[in-house]
Amino acid sequence: MTAPVAVAPPGATIAVDRVSKWLGPVVALSDVSFSIGPGVTALLGPNGAGKSTLLRILCGLTSPSQGRVRVLGADPRTDLGLRRHLGLVAQQETLFEQLRAFEIVALSAGLHLVADRDQAARGALGLVDLDPDDARPVQTYSKGMRQRVKVAAAMVHNPTVIVLDEPLEGLDPRQRLRMIELFVQLGAQGRTVLVSSHVLDEVERFGSQVLVLAKGRLAASGDFREIRDLMDERPHRLRLRSSDARRLAAALMAGGSVVGTHLESAESVLVDTTTVGAFRRAVAPAAAAEGVRLLEVTPLDDDLDSVFRYLVGR
Amino acid sequence: MTLVYRLLLRSLVSRARVAAMAAIGLVGLLVALAIRAADLTGGERSLAITRDLLGGYGLNLVVPVTALVFASAAFGDPTDDRTMVYLWLTPIPRWRLVAAGWAATLTVAGPVAVLPVVLAAALAGADGRLVAAAAAGATLATVGYTAVFLGLGLLVRRALAWGLAYVLIWELAVARISKGAARLSVSVYSRSVLSAVGEVVKPRNAAAVSTSLIVLALVVLAATALTTRVLARADVA
Repeated sequence: MTAPVAVAPPGATIAVDRVSKWLGPVVALSDVSFSIGPGVTALLGPNGAGKSTLLRILCGLTSPSQGRVRVLGADPRTDLGLRRHLGLVAQQETLFEQLRAFEIVALSAGLHLVADRDQAARGALGLVDLDPDDARPVQTYSKGMRQRVKVAAAMVHNPTVIVLDEPLEGLDPRQRLRMIELFVQLGAQGRTVLVSSHVLDEVERFGSQVLVLAKGRLAASGDFREIRDLMDERPHRLRLRSSDARRLAAALMAGGSVVGTHLESAESVLVDTTTVGAFRRAVAPAAAAEGVRLLEVTPLDDDLDSVFRYLVGR
Repeated sequence: MTLVYRLLLRSLVSRARVAAMAAIGLVGLLVALAIRAADLTGGERSLAITRDLLGGYGLNLVVPVTALVFASAAFGDPTDDRTMVYLWLTPIPRWRLVAAGWAATLTVAGPVAVLPVVLAAALAGADGRLVAAAAAGATLATVGYTAVFLGLGLLVRRALAWGLAYVLIWELAVARISKGAARLSVSVYSRSVLSAVGEVVKPRNAAAVSTSLIVLALVVLAATALTTRVLARADVA
């Protein structure tokens, strides 16, 4: 994976070149460039980062305000032929509520001009562990089952490029595992699988390439481990509650495990560290050595939003 | 295309929608029965009221409103319930989707709009010629209005309000007082056909039958082309 790109490199199935999208006064995407090839790529970002907008642009559901997108060398907005090779699991829950799962997937096969709809539908439903002969309409299905129907409908025409917007939402852990295995398997078959998620640990399981979007910008891209390292290197802020906050802060500063402190009260101090692991090992011995009773250690910025904020602010 | 037609038809035929439109048509039938029951002083006055019922209530209200309700929903419903994404991602050419949508709309709106007008003519005691005229006028109006309103559900969020405003302001007011505006009125052409076939009084700013047929065909072509363009450029959620 490379970023940014002016011209798609050989082997790239999706090429995004300086794409921006404005939704009224809101900048949903800002100057995003990347290219990806076959295999699983995770699109990671907090809610509101612009993931769904980017995926909609990649599927031609909306046009970029600026920039250029090519999927399999074609413009997804205007090239109808491309849609035979493109599968989308949209974020919205809506399905044709009165229809059975089999009917919906067969309908998707028909809309994608698949010759033997019924056989294709049975195959796709089998991939997601759903019964093609289930007589119930999908409105009676659980969220996880509906999600699997959507995945089957997106794969029924055997697409080369599969775009999935938060496909693991609503699935139980066993189903998540099964679905992740399926994505990995599809990637190994040489398909381009682009999966969006706002759950960091989920993405780690793909063992994949990662694009990180935050506030409409491409904050990072590359191998997941490199991104993880970047995240571990960022400054972390923690709150320490103890019997003597000033004394403990001084000891930690002297020990070199924190890079800054901010005294909140006699019992509470905020500390900044760039080496969380070393800090965690040092804090208890430092408190003991100073005769300070350590009451509580609270990380303040371990949530994903702060990780993304850091990546954007780098 | 058959698949898309069936899909859109299924979504259009909601019990509430058909019942509401049938109720509007039923009012016309009751008025027609009342005309027949009150026909004590001879046929002329009754015939005049029947003409007004067919032209005024039938072609000016029942047909455009029924066409509006079904046509704007053909693509409006999938847009609102966000199932449009499944339809939009098909490689089928957009004009074929629009043709399927129009065919589905006509399948439902045709009977619901035309039958009450024809039945009202028959119940009011109109002769065979006027009944045939009512059928021709209502059919042409349904064809024209459904084509015009098909793209409305894609273009605007409150398609019913916009469509009603168009019918009330343009078709029923502006086109009646302005000869230029009348040339762009589905109602004027369909009522022209009604009056010519039924040999009844011509509406204001009436056109010849041949002109009416050509213009209505052009309206359908232009509206279909516009809807195709709007669909192709739609932002799909």
